[in-house]
Amino acid sequence: MRWDRLRVPVAFTLVGPAALVSPAPVFAADYLTADQAQTLLFPDADRFETATLALDAATSAELQSRLGVAVKRSWELRLARHGDALLGAVAADDVIGKFERITFAVGIGTDGAVRGVEILSYRESHGQEVRLPAWRKQFVGKTAASRIEVGEEISNISGATLSCRHVTLGTRRIVAVVDALRARGALR
Amino acid sequence: MHRVITPSPFFRPLGVVLAVLAAALAGSARAQAEEPSSPPPQPAAPSSLDAPSGSAAEPATVITSYGELNVNRPISSAASTTADLRRFVLGLQHRFSPVMKFVAELEVEHAVSSAGDRGEVEVEQAFIERQLGPTWAARAGLILMPMGLLNEHHEPTVYYGVERNFVETAIVPSTWREGGVEIVGAFENGLTLQGGVSTSFDAQKWDAASTEGQDSPLGSIHQELQLARARDLGAFAALDWRGMPGLLIGGAAFVGGAGQGQSTGSTPVVALWDLHARWTPPRLDLSALYARGTISNTAALNTPRVGNPTLIPAAFDGWYLQAAYQAWTHGELALKPFVRFERFNTGRSYAELGPRLTPAARPTESVVTVGVNFDVSPEVVIKADYQRFDVDSSRSRVDLGLGWSF
Repeated sequence: MRWDRLRVPVAFTLVGPAALVSPAPVFAADYLTADQAQTLLFPDADRFETATLALDAATSAELQSRLGVAVKRSWELRLARHGDALLGAVAADDVIGKFERITFAVGIGTDGAVRGVEILSYRESHGQEVRLPAWRKQFVGKTAASRIEVGEEISNISGATLSCRHVTLGTRRIVAVVDALRARGALR
Repeated sequence: MHRVITPSPFFRPLGVVLAVLAAALAGSARAQAEEPSSPPPQPAAPSSLDAPSGSAAEPATVITSYGELNVNRPISSAASTTADLRRFVLGLQHRFSPVMKFVAELEVEHAVSSAGDRGEVEVEQAFIERQLGPTWAARAGLILMPMGLLNEHHEPTVYYGVERNFVETAIVPSTWREGGVEIVGAFENGLTLQGGVSTSFDAQKWDAASTEGQDSPLGSIHQELQLARARDLGAFAALDWRGMPGLLIGGAAFVGGAGQGQSTGSTPVVALWDLHARWTPPRLDLSALYARGTISNTAALNTPRVGNPTLIPAAFDGWYLQAAYQAWTHGELALKPFVRFERFNTGRSYAELGPRLTPAARPTESVVTVGVNFDVSPEVVIKADYQRFDVDSSRSRVDLGLGWSF
């Protein structure tokens, strides 16, 4: 039989199913665990302590008004320590990208400046470029006084607009929350 | 003596429509943004940022939608003004497992579809996607072709202007989809690689008696997986680099047979490629794109069609430059004026048929579009623009649009 008559069924019956059934790790969209992220964000830390800290109602409401996003009152932080010294805190959160949830973690030093942003899970069909180190590096050094907004101090990624916008909003929220906790001396 | 200044009759109806839309849609957003002094008792976050409150698990099935309502007012013919629900799209995404999902979009164009109406109902996408690891994913089904800046990202909230640009509709037949399999690789250095095998075009669909082929050569012979002839397949590849924040540089290519076993001579082959760049530093959005298509072996196809108004071109191409600026923001409101200049030719050259038989190349049309996108929220946009056509000035027009995407 001629190749001409075989190529269509060969292409569709071999290439397609082969791609769809090939072995894949479970939870392939999970790139980092929270433990791995905290080590990347604070490589100098020799231990991390988990602490659940709460904003008072007035602070939560004030942040919500200022940021224009919901701000929950209870936050689980991982406090990075080296010996007795506090290096900073890591907070993980979820935002919706376009249709699906993006899990990310933000490390913030004791000076209130962002140490880094790590993407833990990403499941969208488009927009995975928010994982690019060069894009995430834009957040480093930003504080609650910075304009952490796409189109201001953060550049957009073409084709990943909603993921960029929502990860940026989520990071801005964590920075503001940690700043509020710092201000009242809750980070010790 | 005093003069009363009134809007010209030409702009009055459009101005009223725009003002009412803007006021009605912006009102609630502005009220939210301007009332921070009395904190609301309940969180009022944009619904798109957070998962549903209290949801313990991510929903497996997500309903999505986008659409646009456009008003087109030709400058030279008020009687030709139209208002059209250009497209209404319902999307469905269902996740079977953490690594595999189904994605589909069902579109209704022009509001009503029946034997006596001009609307269409189309499946725009329907594919299975499986994640193969941290870097690679595979798709199979009816997929959008990775070409240009618009084809895969065509929601009205992400492009400037009421209508999609001409280059990516006349040269790249957006929304262009084919049945096939695709692999997608996203690398940490900013490269995204897409490639695969798909169905292709059918040159026998060319209607030389109509002018459809002058509007979009490939748009008139695409198959959209509607009982698509699959004797001849296509292969495609796209490479994009986003390694620097705000910068995208890329290109794509497609080559596919279009004879589908029906042509008597050599099989016509369609080739289409593009180069594109987009730079989005804070407040600015600059883009440039060039696309070129060719169809080989068209002489044999055109010979029996001589005498008809639209023969099959051997080459067609176009380019555009676009600049937008985020001039004003207030909360979620954003005003983004833009200007776009594009030149395109849907019949750049024709295969030689002999003296007085070979068609002359078509004129290259130039279009300047000046307008504004007014984001009422990230999901809702109001648009207005003016488009000036250089060659066929009867097409110059004013457009108004309302779009959404969620």
